[in-house]
Parts: sequence; structure tokens; C-alpha cells
Amino acid sequence: MLTSIKENHLTNKGQELGMMYFRVAIILFGAQLVMGLIAAIQFLAPGFLFELFDFSVARMVHINALVVWMLYAMIGATYMMLTDETGHEGVAIGLGKLGFWLLTAAVTVVVLVYIIVQVGPGTEASLWLIHEGREYIEAPRWADIGIVVVVLIFYFNVFATYMKGEKTGIMTVMVANLLALAGLYMAGMFYTDNISMDQFWWWWVIHLWVEATWEVFVGTLAAYALIKIIGAKREIVEMWLWIEVLMLFGSGILGMGHHYFWIGTPEYWWEIGALFSALEPVPLIAMFVHVLYDWGKEQGIAEGRGETASVITNGPAMAWIVTNAFGNFLGAGIWGFFHTLPQVNIYTHGTQFTAAHGHLSFFGAYATILIGMMYYGLQRAYGVQRMKLTFKSKMGIFLTTFGVMGMTIALTIAGYEQVIVERGEMGATWNAFFVAQNLPWYVQAQMWRAIMGVVTLLGFIYLAWDLLTIGKVSKEAEA
Amino acid sequence: MNELIVRPEITPDMFLPIFTISTLVLVFGVAYAATITLAKMGYFSKKWMNLGYLFWALQTYSLYLLSVWIQSEPFTSKVLMVTMLAYLFIPHLYFRLIEDSDRRYDSGNNIAEQKN
Amino acid sequence: MANKNLSVWTSIPFWRRSAAWVTGFASILLIWLTFDTLGQITMGTDDDLKNGVTKRVPAATVINYKIGYEMSTKRGHEVPTIGEKEPFFGKEWSADDAADLLHLGKLTSQTKNCMNCHTLLGNGAYYAPDLTKAWIDPAWSKTGPMMAMTGKSTKEEAIAEFLQHPSTYPTHARMMPELGITADEAKGLVAFLKHMSSIDTNGFPRNFGKEEGSTNAH
Ligand code: HEC
Ligand code: HEM
Ligand code: HEM
Ligand SMILES: [Fe+2]
Repeated sequence: MLTSIKENHLTNKGQELGMMYFRVAIILFGAQLVMGLIAAIQFLAPGFLFELFDFSVARMVHINALVVWMLYAMIGATYMMLTDETGHEGVAIGLGKLGFWLLTAAVTVVVLVYIIVQVGPGTEASLWLIHEGREYIEAPRWADIGIVVVVLIFYFNVFATYMKGEKTGIMTVMVANLLALAGLYMAGMFYTDNISMDQFWWWWVIHLWVEATWEVFVGTLAAYALIKIIGAKREIVEMWLWIEVLMLFGSGILGMGHHYFWIGTPEYWWEIGALFSALEPVPLIAMFVHVLYDWGKEQGIAEGRGETASVITNGPAMAWIVTNAFGNFLGAGIWGFFHTLPQVNIYTHGTQFTAAHGHLSFFGAYATILIGMMYYGLQRAYGVQRMKLTFKSKMGIFLTTFGVMGMTIALTIAGYEQVIVERGEMGATWNAFFVAQNLPWYVQAQMWRAIMGVVTLLGFIYLAWDLLTIGKVSKEAEA
Repeated sequence: MNELIVRPEITPDMFLPIFTISTLVLVFGVAYAATITLAKMGYFSKKWMNLGYLFWALQTYSLYLLSVWIQSEPFTSKVLMVTMLAYLFIPHLYFRLIEDSDRRYDSGNNIAEQKN
Repeated sequence: MANKNLSVWTSIPFWRRSAAWVTGFASILLIWLTFDTLGQITMGTDDDLKNGVTKRVPAATVINYKIGYEMSTKRGHEVPTIGEKEPFFGKEWSADDAADLLHLGKLTSQTKNCMNCHTLLGNGAYYAPDLTKAWIDPAWSKTGPMMAMTGKSTKEEAIAEFLQHPSTYPTHARMMPELGITADEAKGLVAFLKHMSSIDTNGFPRNFGKEEGSTNAH
């Protein structure tokens, strides 16, 4: 991966920039996992790094690194497909590179401040310079503004290239969706004394990202990848893409009601949230069926032509995309549906159950397909015809998936215990909280979460190693 | 601390059944969709579609139980049952769409011709 | 053969238009509901409190009143109750002073990152107890352990003392760390917690342990 740009089989500058984004993404992914492990150990051994590097700091870096690496990989993937889709060289890739370096410098400073300064006094200046203390979008305000500038550069590149080039369905969805995605970030940039108001807008960013715009983004990526990797027919893929957009936005936008049950907002959100969010798994089932169907169909066609080889031109990318189809359905669909009805959510709200869902959904719906796009980028960078799974690719995909699945099951068990004892029996007080935290099953589940976290990290090491080497290996195998 | 207020609501011993049944709703739902898909794709014979319908029936029953256990309004339960009726048709509509779009956009190499 | 099957269902423009319509419709509905909700969750005024007008999110001067959490038979779940007046840090706060104090508290809750250990209104991290109703937690009441432990005679002083030196008053192996909270910031935070406990959360958390004497009803 390091030499991917020097190898220079890339057919356009946009892809070069895409690879630059991918590299930072994978580094941040590694950082995310290390921070998660620190936080997981603190659950078991609360003295670990106490008053040096507290849980809040580890967790903040954990989830911020998560959001940022995913945004990096999303930008990278967009640059990757820009010229392919529009048939036009990106209009201002030089400016895009400047944006990349600005963003990367800003991210570095932000993370260093998180780690070294950690907390500030209760003044506006702390919000501007240190962090904003709001889960997932903690970035201090100066960085917010920087992010907006860089995203504008990125969006200008995508939009202007789209306007000059061919307007495929995939790119049309991409351009419209990215605008919504970037615009939503603004909803999280202001301060208010009213905590209900605060959380109301905070969910506009978080929910409308992960359950609307990011999902549509994944739909476009999958559409592009199905065409490129298994040679699916564009018209069919695009028709499905529009149907997916319809279902995802149709359910996801009002599905936001499932976060408005208990934050001070009116009761009518119970019905709206329950109804629309219960429909959210439907598009995920459709996406799942669609990926598998297309794969089976293209393979069938190839066999019909008497070809014995697989239609898949990029083994690791396809493996991750298939994992995505499963993971999206399981993490977002099943684990989401679990706690989305208000009758259930009043007990599960803000328990380890939520954490279980958060892990499997982010991993299953986003990490997987973005990693798939990285493999696809590598294939292009090294000019490889057919990229096959190596032992390391297999270990990477197996161990990370197994690890995250294991963590999710452990957290689900912990959440179950917590719901019964803290919420059901004892009424959610300080004391109730700690009675539940100290139940033997709960403690054991936290232990398993940490163990499975180590497995995930091991998988990541294989993955990173594979990303660094697979390009060269595949190239040599073909030569 | 005063004693808990007793209301006709979910008691702690009902959580496990509720979580289990809501998983089953989705698992049967997927099993139904998967069986129909695989049968339509020709991976196994159409006979298996009956198994799919069995999954659908189980899913409907699970959803009914879920709605009772979480003490939904009778009206909500009815809406849910109508939804399940709709779900019975969705895979069929879905495959009509797939077949029609194959014919329209991909007629050169229709899957049906390729696979016996 | 293709031509006779050109149904609308396989038409890309049809699905594109439908997607646009559905998205537009959902967005407009969301925006409309947002306007309604914003109206309902805007903070009330001091006059509302004086006149007994119930607001989902009361004014900052709610810190001058006793706050409880009672079952409402009409609503079918618990709702916060605003009782008679009680001093807060030994005095009654004017509308401006109360608003300033709440401002300091909310700001501090962000800069000290409470949300990455605790949940607020149920959202945040799951490492430490939910703070939605921390103000009426039995542990802080006259019969609970915390007042004696911190050596303070009122609840607000006890919480403020704890927040400034949390690891001096541990009750569990999992402690809250020192976050460099000053005496003023601690006061602000207590106001923030008290204000949050008065927000109408549609009955979350359910069956929260009642504190003796926090309300007149019962
Ligand atoms: C590093 C994690 C961490 C951070 C950050 C943190 N807390 Fe805590 N907090 C805890 C833990 C752990 C406990 C339980 C302490 C015990 O039981 O000994 C606790 C207990 C409390 C309690 C008593 C519990 C209750 O339900 O009344 C209050 C109040 C509280 N914290 C408020 C705050 C506020 C306000 C902030 C932000 C300024 C904050 N905490 C930041 C970890 C944290
Ligand atoms: C890929 C898509 C999804 C992702 C990445 C995702 C992620 C998350 C995360 C991280 C949280 C916790 C937020 C917090 O920190 O407070 C959350 C909460 C929640 N999610 Fe999702 N989610 C997805 C899809 C879904 C779907 C499809 C549903 C419903 C069917 C759903 C239902 C919920 C509910 C009800 C909560 C609130 C939990 C609580 O009350 O504590 N999610 N989601
Ligand atoms: C080494 C593996 C990992 C470990 C040990 C780990 C550990 C943790 C811990 C301890 C928390 C805090 C939970 C709490 O507040 O109680 C957390 C939160 C979170 N982690 Fe991880 N994590 C790991 C990997 C991942 C991965 C791979 C993802 C997604 C791709 C992820 C996404 C999240 C999210 C979204 C949250 C916030 C959850 C919420 O608020 O509901 N983590 N993680
Ligand atoms: Fe959501």
C-alpha cells in the first residue's frame, strides 16, 4: 500500500488522492482499536491509567477515530470512482491534495490535544480549542470550521467533475447524497444551554448520517463495486440503487423518532419512531438479497459461457462486500430492531445493549465495505488483473469479523443482565447501576469483550499487513 | 425507597422471551426471503418454496406474540398483521421486478437460459 | 421481445422520481415535526414557573423549586413534578443569575466530557450511572450516604463537593476521576443536573428510586 502511488498504474490523479486518504484511514482504524482496548480494560480494572488517561479520554479518541477514519475512507472511495464514473479527470485534484494535507494536519493536532490536554475549564474557549464534549462530534470548533472548508474543496471537486463529465445514476445519487451528508454536519456545530435542544440536533447529525446518508453512500459504493468487480449490468444496478434510496430515506429520515422517545421531546415520536424505524431493516434485506443475487447471476452467466473461473476479479474486495451485506443486516437490522420499539427501548436505552448494536452496526455496515474499497484501490494501483485472497487477507477478514461478533455477543449478554437488574428490577439509580455492573455474568461478559477485542486487533494486524503486501504479491504472481 | 409502582407492563421475566421473539421475527423473515430467493434462482427446486411459506407463517406468529407481549394496542396488532400479509407478496413482486429488468436490460444473457 | 415488456416497474426514471418524491415527502414531514417539537422543547420562562404552567423543559429558575418524579395516571408514566420553593446554595436565584449558572454548568458538562462516561437523558457512555435524574437519586437524600460522607448539610453542597474531589469520596472501585472542576463550575454543574431532572422525559427512567420528602404528593 505504501508504494501503491509510486507503482503508478493508476489511470488518473483522483485515484492517487483516494489512496492517500485510504492510508490515513487505516492508521486511524488501528488507533481506534488500541483506544477501545484501553477503555475495555478500564471496565475490568478501573485503576488502569486512572487520572492519567481516563475512560472518557480513551473513549473519545476511540469513537472520534472511528468517525474520522470512516469519513477519510469515504472521501477516498469517492475520489477512487470519480473519473471512472464521470469519464472526466477530477477538475481540481491539486487543490484536493492541499485539502488532504490540511485535514490530516488538523486531525493530528486535534488528537494530540485530546490526548495531552484532555479537559478544559468551563469556558467557550475550551469548546473552540479543546473539544466540544458531544459524543462522536467532539472536534473543537476551529477544527469544525477547517473540516467544513476541506469538505467544500472535496465537494467542489466531485460536483464540478460531475457537471463536466457523464452523469450516471450512481454519480447523481452520490452528488446529491454527499451534499446532504456534508450539510447535516452543520446541525452539530452550535452550542445551547438546553440539553434537550442539544440532543435533538445532535441526532440530526448522528442518526441522519448512519441511518440515512451513510447507508445511501454504501448503496452507491456497492453499486459501483458490483459493476467493477463482478461485471453486473449497470442499468439493473442503478434501478436497484434508486429503489434502495427510496426505501432507505423513506424509512430512515422519520426513523429518527426512535431517538426522540426520552429526551424531552413530545410523545408523538413514540408512534412515528416505532413505525418508521421498524421499517428500516427492510431496505437492508433488499440490499442483502440484491448483492447475493447479482453475484449468483453473473457467476451463472459465466459458467453458461463455459468459463470455469470465478467472475470475481477482486477476491478480498468481494469477500468484504459480502461480509458487508451480512453485517449491515445483522448489526443495523437485527440488533437495531431489537431495541427500537419504545416499550423495549425504555429499558434498554443507554445500556450495554446500545453498545452491542453500535459495534456490530458500524463494523458490519461501514468498516467492511470501506475496507473492500481499499482492496479495490490497491488492485487498480498495482494494475493487477485478478486479485486473489491471500492467507493474510483471510486471517484479516476472519479474525476481525469473529472478534467484533464476539464482542457484540458479550455486550448483548452484559446488556441483558443490565436491563433486567438495573432497569427492570431496581429502577436505574446510582446504586442500581453498580449492582448490575458487579453481577458475575456481567463481569464475565466484559472480560469476553476484552478478549474478543484482542482477537479483533489481531485481525487488524493481519489486515494492515495484507494491505501493505498484497499489491506486490498479486503483481508478481501475474507477471 | 418506596415500593415499585406496579403497572400492567413488561416484567423482568418477560425480557428474555421478548428479545428472543424479536430475533425470531427477523430470522424467520430472512429465512423466508432466502428460501424464496434460492428457489427462484434455481439453486434448489421449487418444492422448497413451501418451506419458505412455513417460515413466513412462523414469522407472522412470532410477530403476533411479540405484539401481545409488549402489550401493543389491539389496533397496532392489526396493523402488524396486515404488514405481514404484505410481506407475503414482497419477494414475489421483487422477483417479478428482477425478471422484468433482466429481460429489459440484460436480455442477451438471461439467467434462465444459462441455468437449465 | 424486450419492447412489449417495458413496464413502468422496471423503468429507471420511474424509480428515480419515486425516490425523489418519497425523500422529499419524508424530509418535509420531518421539518414540520421539527418545528412543532422545537416549540415544545424551548425552555419555559420564570413566569411560567410562577404561574404553574407546565413546560417540557422549564426555565433555569426551576433550581429554586423542589423537584420530584411522580406517576401520572393521565399520562401512564412518571413525570417530573415542581413543588414548593427551596433554597439552592442558600438563596433564591433571580432569572438572570439562574440562567448564568445553568450556562456555566452546561458548558462545563461539555468541556469536562461528562458524556463520555455517563449518559445524559440516556445518551452517552455506559461506564457510569445515568445522570438524567441524578438530582433526585436516593444516595444524595438526607437518608442516603453521600451527605454524611462529604460532610455537607444540603444536597447541592454535597454534590458540588463530590464533583470537585470525586476520587476522595469513592463508593465503588470504579471511581470518577478528578477533572479539575472549580467551586464555581461545580455549582453550575449541580444547577445543570437539577435542571435536567425537571425535564419531562416521557417516563424515562422508569421506576426511578423515589426519594423521601422530595415532593409533597404521595
Ligand atoms: C472518567 C469517567 C467520568 C467522567 C468524565 C465523569 N464521571 Fe461522574 N462518575 C464516574 C463514575 C465511575 C462514577 C461512580 C463513582 C462511584 O460510585 O464511586 C461517577 C459518579 C458521578 C455522580 C454520582 C452518581 C449519581 O448518579 O448521582 C455524579 C452526580 C457525577 N458522576 C457527575 C458527573 C459530572 C457532572 C461529570 C462532568 C463534569 C462527570 N460526572 C464526569 C465517572 C465519570
Ligand atoms: C448502519 C446503520 C446503523 C448504525 C451505524 C447505528 C449505530 C448506532 C449507534 C452508534 C448508536 C448509539 C448512539 C449513542 O452513542 O447514543 C445507535 C443507537 C440506536 N440505534 Fe442504531 N445504528 C444503525 C442502524 C439502526 C437501525 C436500522 C435501527 C432500527 C431498526 C437502529 C436503532 C437504534 C436505536 C433504537 C438506538 C438507540 C439506543 C438507545 O436508546 O440507547 N439503528 N445506533
Ligand atoms: C479492539 C476492539 C474494540 C474494543 C475493545 C472496543 C471497546 C469499546 C468500549 C469500551 C467502548 C465504550 C462503551 C461504553 O461507553 O460503555 C466502545 C464504544 C464504541 N465503539 Fe468500540 N471497541 C472496539 C472496536 C470497535 C470497532 C471495530 C468499532 C466499529 C467499527 C467500534 C465502535 C464503537 C462505537 C460506535 C462505540 C460507541 C457505542 C455507543 O455509544 O453505543 N469499536 N468501544
Ligand atoms: Fe437511529
